[in-house]
Amino acid sequence: MAIRNTRQRWGAVAQLLHWLIVVLIITQFTLATLFDDLPPGARKLGLLARHKSVGITILMLAIVRLAWRSTNPTPPLPDTLRPWERTLARFTHALLYALLFAVPLAGWTMSSARGFPVSWFGIFTLPDLVPKNKMLYEALLTTHGVLAWTLGVVAIIHLLAALKHHFVLKDDVLRRMLPLTSHRTKESRQ
Amino acid sequence: MRILRPAASPAVWLAVQILAAALPAAAAAPDLAHYVLDPAKSSLEFTFLQAGAWNKGHFKHFTVSFDFSPDNLAASRLDVIVEMSSVDTGDQERDDAVRGGDLLAVAKFLQAHFAASQINKTAAGYEAVGKLTIRGVTHDMRVPFSFRTATEGGVAVGYMSGKTSLLRLDYGVGQGDWKATDQVGNEVGVAFALRLTAH
Repeated sequence: MAIRNTRQRWGAVAQLLHWLIVVLIITQFTLATLFDDLPPGARKLGLLARHKSVGITILMLAIVRLAWRSTNPTPPLPDTLRPWERTLARFTHALLYALLFAVPLAGWTMSSARGFPVSWFGIFTLPDLVPKNKMLYEALLTTHGVLAWTLGVVAIIHLLAALKHHFVLKDDVLRRMLPLTSHRTKESRQ
Repeated sequence: MRILRPAASPAVWLAVQILAAALPAAAAAPDLAHYVLDPAKSSLEFTFLQAGAWNKGHFKHFTVSFDFSPDNLAASRLDVIVEMSSVDTGDQERDDAVRGGDLLAVAKFLQAHFAASQINKTAAGYEAVGKLTIRGVTHDMRVPFSFRTATEGGVAVGYMSGKTSLLRLDYGVGQGDWKATDQVGNEVGVAFALRLTAH
């Protein structure tokens, strides 16, 4: 597998970034579910700290990912897609990228508004994005949650679409984002 | 002071001798000024590492009694009493946790107390050597500080400031889950800037 993207498939870096972010987003939902049920205390604080660090990691990876995408060819959508399907696919992907930035940024801003500086795994502390403001904190708490659930729903739609491409349309859309799989059309051509 | 050499009786001579010996000591022991806190213009802050980031808090209510003369450090004293329930970290939920039984336990341990009966001169200023009691646990503590006096509106005032740090677990501040130091650090910084008025 090539490091860079080709016209046929995603390269190693794009795949690594994609699947790493998948794992981290699942981690985020798991952590959020765990600490939501806890009373205030050391355990909640620990889980929240990890959630913030992972969130900042996702934000950093999203920046790298967008930069990598802009300097690499994007494997095109299959020719079989109808125009509205293309539009929908582009919109969904754009939305996913936007949410990869929006969810952590809302979380970071919310933490600043609460007056709790965000640290990245205790290694460095991020600057506060806004001054302390209880009303803003309450609003951002809701915003962060709504955006996160939107990300979850859109990601599931994205997953279902990928499965449809693989099992129903039997094209390469999923395979070209998977490591160690050969290229289906190439195989059929051989 | 020269000893008189009169033809006085030995008793008088002895009395004069004792007086002469005592006088220089009395001259070297000037009165201590008694200072108390001007709460409106004083702060007692602390910093702590929470989830990897430094956070700040302060105590709203505390009293200071400072008996001091730079020329009589031996008799100088510093006494600070902090009302623990007045802790304020700027977050209600966190303040409740800090006041709770596993941390400051303010319902049981109302006050923290620093009592220094020894003040030393240091290169940078002074140092109060005494005992600090938090949560019923007492340890020796040295607190460096600077002190300068001024006259403001005809009132003698003193400005005392300094910084130190302590380990919260030395005083049992952190029971149960809070014993772990990965989310809330053991080291707590203490900084004070006090305006004292002489009485």
